[in-house]
Amino acid sequence: MIWLAWRQFRKQALFTVIGLAVLAALMIPTGLAMHHSFDDLGLPSCIRALGGGELVPAASESCNSAFRQFNDEYRPVLLVAIPFIFLPLFVGLFWGAPLISRELEHGTHRLVWTQGVSRRHWALVKFTLIGGSTLAVATGYGLGLSWWLNPVSQTGSSRFNPLGFDLQGVVPIGYTLFAVALGIVAGTIWQKVLPAMAVTLAGFVGLRIALTLLARPRYLPPETLTFPCRPTPRRTTLTAETGSSPRKSETRPGTWCWTTRRPPAPRAPPPAAPVWTAATTTC
Amino acid sequence: MAWTARVTLRWRPSSWARSTARIGPRIWALRNCSFRLPPGRIAALVGPNGAGKSTLLHLAVGLLEPDVGTVRIFGAAPFDGFETAHASILADIGFVAQDTPLYADFTAAELLTMGSKLNRRWDGTLARMWLAQLGIPPDRQVGKLSGGQRAQVALALALAKHPRLLLLDEPVASLDPLARREFLQALIGSVAETGTTVLLSSHLLADLERICDFLIVLNDGAVQLAGEVDVLVADHRQLIGPRDPGEHIQGVATVVRASNTDRQSTLLVRTDGPVTDPAWTVHDVSLEDLILGYLAQTRPQGSHTAWGVTA
Repeated sequence: MIWLAWRQFRKQALFTVIGLAVLAALMIPTGLAMHHSFDDLGLPSCIRALGGGELVPAASESCNSAFRQFNDEYRPVLLVAIPFIFLPLFVGLFWGAPLISRELEHGTHRLVWTQGVSRRHWALVKFTLIGGSTLAVATGYGLGLSWWLNPVSQTGSSRFNPLGFDLQGVVPIGYTLFAVALGIVAGTIWQKVLPAMAVTLAGFVGLRIALTLLARPRYLPPETLTFPCRPTPRRTTLTAETGSSPRKSETRPGTWCWTTRRPPAPRAPPPAAPVWTAATTTC
Repeated sequence: MAWTARVTLRWRPSSWARSTARIGPRIWALRNCSFRLPPGRIAALVGPNGAGKSTLLHLAVGLLEPDVGTVRIFGAAPFDGFETAHASILADIGFVAQDTPLYADFTAAELLTMGSKLNRRWDGTLARMWLAQLGIPPDRQVGKLSGGQRAQVALALALAKHPRLLLLDEPVASLDPLARREFLQALIGSVAETGTTVLLSSHLLADLERICDFLIVLNDGAVQLAGEVDVLVADHRQLIGPRDPGEHIQGVATVVRASNTDRQSTLLVRTDGPVTDPAWTVHDVSLEDLILGYLAQTRPQGSHTAWGVTA
């Protein structure tokens, strides 16, 4: 059964590998260039300094200009990355949708379901092969894209903006698996390859748009905690822009502070008045 | 071996169901459909288009599940959900579906490999020998073979399983007369050696008469007639005699079909004794006459209103 599943799948797998190779050929040189200029501009140390709160005005000036220079140069990269949001859809269209619908459309289910293996066995092997391949491809794709986008997302705005979020980490993997599952279901219901692909396309794009425009604005707002605290003599509690990891405040053990504001000028705070605001989206 | 099937397809009306005016979610695609097929026979399943032949064969091979009633193949239900028990019954059944579906991008050799991987009992030598004799190229995609060659590949796939029951759904429909004869001869030769029971559906009555020894007539979703060909032919007679005799004829059990001209009647009858009435001339019937007589009994009801014409 594994032989049959692979024999039917190998052409699609080959095309996918070619597609990924072409993508890699485009992305590895540009990614390396981005990483190099990221390093050359001294941005890693700037970001470390931001995180440590040890920014002295002189360094701050040079860092700011470095950030600006990098952003001016590579900001458009994010626009190039927009089509990548829809790459998982192709896996759903060409792997998921035909899996069952092609058998039903050509009537070959009458051939394969009347051999000596049960339909459960058939489905298990098919789904495992497609699902496993999807997971492998999507993991490679997601890791590569995260590496590629890493400099941009470190210098740019929040990692949680729609574009940056959808392209990095586990998100592309989840979307690819979803697209394949949607394709399989559509193929089972519509039983013809083209309608199944159309439904997969419409379903995937529709869900993406609905999630971005309708659901995400209605998520729980970031929790805002305000509490008094006494600043220590060192200016250590200033944390970096969003995009860097949250830092532990030294004044309140066990509390995570993540803020984008400098603390006010040191003065004696009123005992119970809120001084800092910590937006803890990830705490 | 016995079959009993009483079926309605709630989720996919058969072509028969669609051709009648009563389109609805619950139409009986098959009903009153009981027969037993003795082992070792070559049985013909005949009936007009949409009578339910394919539905019956799909039920027998477990592609469909009867909603009501049971199908038993060698005493077991062929449709066993998605359980693995399904596979053990499938091992005993060889099935060639209508239009002989095959993976068009596979070569014949690859299809045989597929068969060997999917079946525990598999006689690859037999299949290769079979295809070699017929001159079918092993390394050519089956999508590029002729219809007759594809049918032979499909039959080879089914025969290599050494099935106890071979189900063929209109296997010769797309073949030219010569290929048809070759196919049927090959089939007979093969099953004669192994004692396989064969059930094949076909429209080609002349072919069936030559090879079949058991007959099942399916009409309008119901089994009209099932039995040994010899017995059936011996039981039926064609009578030609006066128009409107009115009374019961001695020796006639049922009148299957009567056709009248102005002066005389022609009856197809099932006899229960010798017909001795001198008013009637008695002729033997061929299997073809017999089948046609039964099939003509139930004509599809007209759909004049649906077409907007008057009857």
